[in-house]
Amino acid sequence: MTILRRLWTPRDGRESLSVPDALRRAELRRREGRYAEAGALVARALEIDAGNLHAHLLAAYLHVARRATAPAKEEFHWVLGHDPNHARALLGLARIAFEERDTRTCHDLLRRALRFYPEFPEASALLELVRAREAAPPPPVAPAAPRVERLRLPGTGRALIIGRTDGGLIASQPVTDDAKDISEALARMLHVATAALRRAALGPLHRAIVEDGRDAVFTRTDGELIVSLALPRATDPTQGLLDVNRLWSATQHELGLAAGPPAAAPSSTPADTPGAVPTRRIS
Amino acid sequence: MSGTRLKLALEHDGASRGRHVRDIVEELKRLYGVRGALIVAPDGFVIAAELPGSVEVDSLAALAATLGRELETSATRMGRPSFSTALFSADDGTMFLAASRIGYLVVLAEAQVSVQTIRTALADAIALIEAAWAPGEATG
Repeated sequence: MTILRRLWTPRDGRESLSVPDALRRAELRRREGRYAEAGALVARALEIDAGNLHAHLLAAYLHVARRATAPAKEEFHWVLGHDPNHARALLGLARIAFEERDTRTCHDLLRRALRFYPEFPEASALLELVRAREAAPPPPVAPAAPRVERLRLPGTGRALIIGRTDGGLIASQPVTDDAKDISEALARMLHVATAALRRAALGPLHRAIVEDGRDAVFTRTDGELIVSLALPRATDPTQGLLDVNRLWSATQHELGLAAGPPAAAPSSTPADTPGAVPTRRIS
Repeated sequence: MSGTRLKLALEHDGASRGRHVRDIVEELKRLYGVRGALIVAPDGFVIAAELPGSVEVDSLAALAATLGRELETSATRMGRPSFSTALFSADDGTMFLAASRIGYLVVLAEAQVSVQTIRTALADAIALIEAAWAPGEATG
């Protein structure tokens, strides 16, 4: 029966394919980033052998590659249902748990993977990342919120977030309901970036620029404080960095972290942030 | 670079795309001030890599993919458009990350590298991938 199934010939005119052949080709397509074709081949393999563990694992990877988290989780769970110590499936679920902000589950899954396969670089790297996040010192006594109305955004500035690397929000401009969530997301992202830079032997993170279809977000950090400024995407990077540097100095001054007066740097555009009339020019 | 290579990309049939993806990475690696480059799938799978021997590929790829997904999921949670490119500057160099339909392009460069040169090269690379991997090909 098994032999017959492995030599299965479809009735719909498709090329006959054994399960190992289909999976080998699917792997090849995956290596070329041809996820849809790889997925079709995996589906064919599963038509013949629905209990094939390798096919389910490959299906899970392909779902992740296509950013389809729910079916990916389902497939990883299927694999673990048949092999509870499958390191790759544990890693796959751990990555999804991290995305879902479920740090505890992520940590447990990675530890399980490493218990059976101590030499597993991807799992080690992620566990180091999660541990560093968990080991972050508790937030210090909340510093006096800087008088952000005195921090002058450049005329084209869309938003300013001042936060800590533990995710805590110090201040924002404008003041919005989601500023706390943005501060937390920013800190998480910088935390992962810091870990990646360390792995690449590039040293500690100082600046970041993240662009999307709308904005370019310029960020400066020293490992404790984060100052992040959203500007229009078309902003020249040099000017954006000058603007965030100016706000960095001004924030440090307001927080009492800087010895001297804030460094003056020219703003990209006249400072006339709507809704925020400064009482005094900081820089 | 983009004109000729874009044409090449369009002429590529499916079977040669593996080679094509490696070409893209090699091209990025050849840029002045670039130490290495890779393309990693969102699941952390390394599609192609040209990295210095001192960098452990799988670990960096795992973290780069996690970073890419973090940027994407954060944007989704905030109801914002997903990121296109990101740059992270450190004491000893700069890491660039760009999102494509098949995964994330990562470039490791010297601290003093021309940001504009790398951004342009990444935009070219993304265009090549977009041209060679028709909609539906990668995403289904």
